[in-house]
Amino acid sequence: MAGLAGEATGVERRFTIAFANLTEEPGVLLEGTGFTGREVRESFALAARAYPVDLVFYDNHNDAHRALANAEDAIARKVDLYIQYFRDSAVNAEIARKLRGADIPVLAVNYPVPGAPLYTADNSAAGRVGGEALGRFGSGAWKGQPVVAVLIGPLGAQADRIPERAQGVVEGLKSHLPTATVTRIDTRGDPAQVATLLGRFLAANPGRKILVAAMDDTTALAAKSVLEASGRLADGAIVSHGVDRSIHGGMSDHKEIDPSNRGSIVIGSVAFYLDRYGYDVLPLALQLLRGEPVPPRTATHHKLITAANVFIEYPPYDMQ
Amino acid sequence: MRFKGLLAAVLLVFASASVALAQSDCTKIVPPSPWGPNDETGATNRVTPAVTKAAAAEIQEGKVVPMSWILKDGIPLFGTRFTKTILTATSLAAGGAFGENELTYMEDTWLSQSHVGTHLDGMGHIGRKDCYFNQIAMGKYINQNYITKLGLEHLKSFATRGVLVDAVRVFQAAGKLKSNPACRKPCLDKGTVITAADIQAGLKMYNVTLREGDIVVVHTGWGDLFDQFPAQNATFNSGEPGIGKDAAKWLISQKVVAVGADQWAVEVIPGEDPKEAFIVHNLLITDNGIHILENVRTDLIAEEAARTHRGTFFFNMTVPRAYGLTGNFVGIDGIR
Repeated sequence: MAGLAGEATGVERRFTIAFANLTEEPGVLLEGTGFTGREVRESFALAARAYPVDLVFYDNHNDAHRALANAEDAIARKVDLYIQYFRDSAVNAEIARKLRGADIPVLAVNYPVPGAPLYTADNSAAGRVGGEALGRFGSGAWKGQPVVAVLIGPLGAQADRIPERAQGVVEGLKSHLPTATVTRIDTRGDPAQVATLLGRFLAANPGRKILVAAMDDTTALAAKSVLEASGRLADGAIVSHGVDRSIHGGMSDHKEIDPSNRGSIVIGSVAFYLDRYGYDVLPLALQLLRGEPVPPRTATHHKLITAANVFIEYPPYDMQ
Repeated sequence: MRFKGLLAAVLLVFASASVALAQSDCTKIVPPSPWGPNDETGATNRVTPAVTKAAAAEIQEGKVVPMSWILKDGIPLFGTRFTKTILTATSLAAGGAFGENELTYMEDTWLSQSHVGTHLDGMGHIGRKDCYFNQIAMGKYINQNYITKLGLEHLKSFATRGVLVDAVRVFQAAGKLKSNPACRKPCLDKGTVITAADIQAGLKMYNVTLREGDIVVVHTGWGDLFDQFPAQNATFNSGEPGIGKDAAKWLISQKVVAVGADQWAVEVIPGEDPKEAFIVHNLLITDNGIHILENVRTDLIAEEAARTHRGTFFFNMTVPRAYGLTGNFVGIDGIR
């Protein structure tokens, strides 16, 4: 429908698409990962280069009033499509009603908007990928040895859907190590707690191998430091979630997940790709605008990133 | 015991050899050279005497326009790259002069990586897996010191016509220039994709039709950040405007010899597809033997072209022909 005008003239029509980001406040991390709103926004700007699209960016500031005002502004601008990234279901419902009234289609990111196709992280699936990697390692490398598993991070962070992630980890882990005991260490969003809480756990479990499922990369790096400081590096293996820039780098800024660091006890981290959302979401937006079918739910394809594939998945460009 | 040791050594040699010889089937990964199976020269095959003679017609005033930056401490270098000189000046010390004529001398030790400053990417620089230009499985042709195939010594002359594409003016004319605040003069911002249509618009601006054997130089304005070294090195290295894949493919179809630009990789960074690494390098160098010229100084030739409404010049470039190099810093002048 919207694409027909362009088709009639033989010139591809340009669309104006609004993206209302959850928040771009510096330092605020999204979805229980190390990514910020700025990285999400930049991914849209970079992805848009390949499409006949002009973007209008809004920052919802994690604020209901701002989110509603942004949608109203987009209606006044007569944008062709609105991409909404906001947590509050009541606000999302109200925005859906307003946009429907203005005949503007909506795409939802991470949190449903009534009637709109949803693009979302799949925390259960991501957790399973991480849990399976840990379980595979434990059942192979430490076969016959006493192994315990630890889930560590902000385990109660419902808003970031960490409980789903943790449950996925347990399911994945148990698929390889059905009898493994799993201890939950909730840092309540304070990575500084990792040293104290994990240190205590290590002291209480001498002579055991420890499989650490970190809910995010910051926690994973902190956990590695604790194992190192305790002289227990050889007893630990860590899988993380997120794959933000704190854990992977380029050719020059060697970080934990790096081809030259294949011996690390950080086996890998499960990618959440918030820095690539634009590349996944804009094609869906264009499908919607062109009247093509769009699935009601599209999930991020979470993948374990290790030293063996990090440069394939995140090609460095700090060389020439 | 001795036999076991010998056997182990033999097995080790075989194991090492099999690792060293492990290679891809390059005929499935890289296209063959249009100049034959033994070709190690690539696109400079296009610089024939006729091409050079025709390019000489560009020299009308004898004006020489510098197109390379001076290589010195502080210029932007990537990551761990380095270039350093050490001066030997011992004969200047009291009593160090030679003979009654009191001859003194100085010389330099140059410790440098080759891909620094204004430089040429040779065909040994970029491949797909172990496959390089003309389906050469490079694993067999490298040692600790150099490459034994595709080195710069195989290149012919670059004495051909240079063609400037002023992307800044193209984007200004199209009303789509988004400059970077760190640039003192208008520049395209990092991440800006220069398309085939933009290149064609730039050629049309100076009424130029590309000829086989041309060298295309793109002015993005990003080189202004290089000129501000070291103050803007981090911004300069953080990304760049540059040609995208369709521009590269179009330039390949035009049978150019080289593509240069005033930034560090010629191609747009971040790239168009986040899961591809320096794909334009692959397209130009690996697949087509077309050289890339990085950190070309383009501001002066762009000013000259704008002033005279002429975007072509005689491309005069010196490439030190050290054996087995993958690239080298170069001196370039545009002669008009």
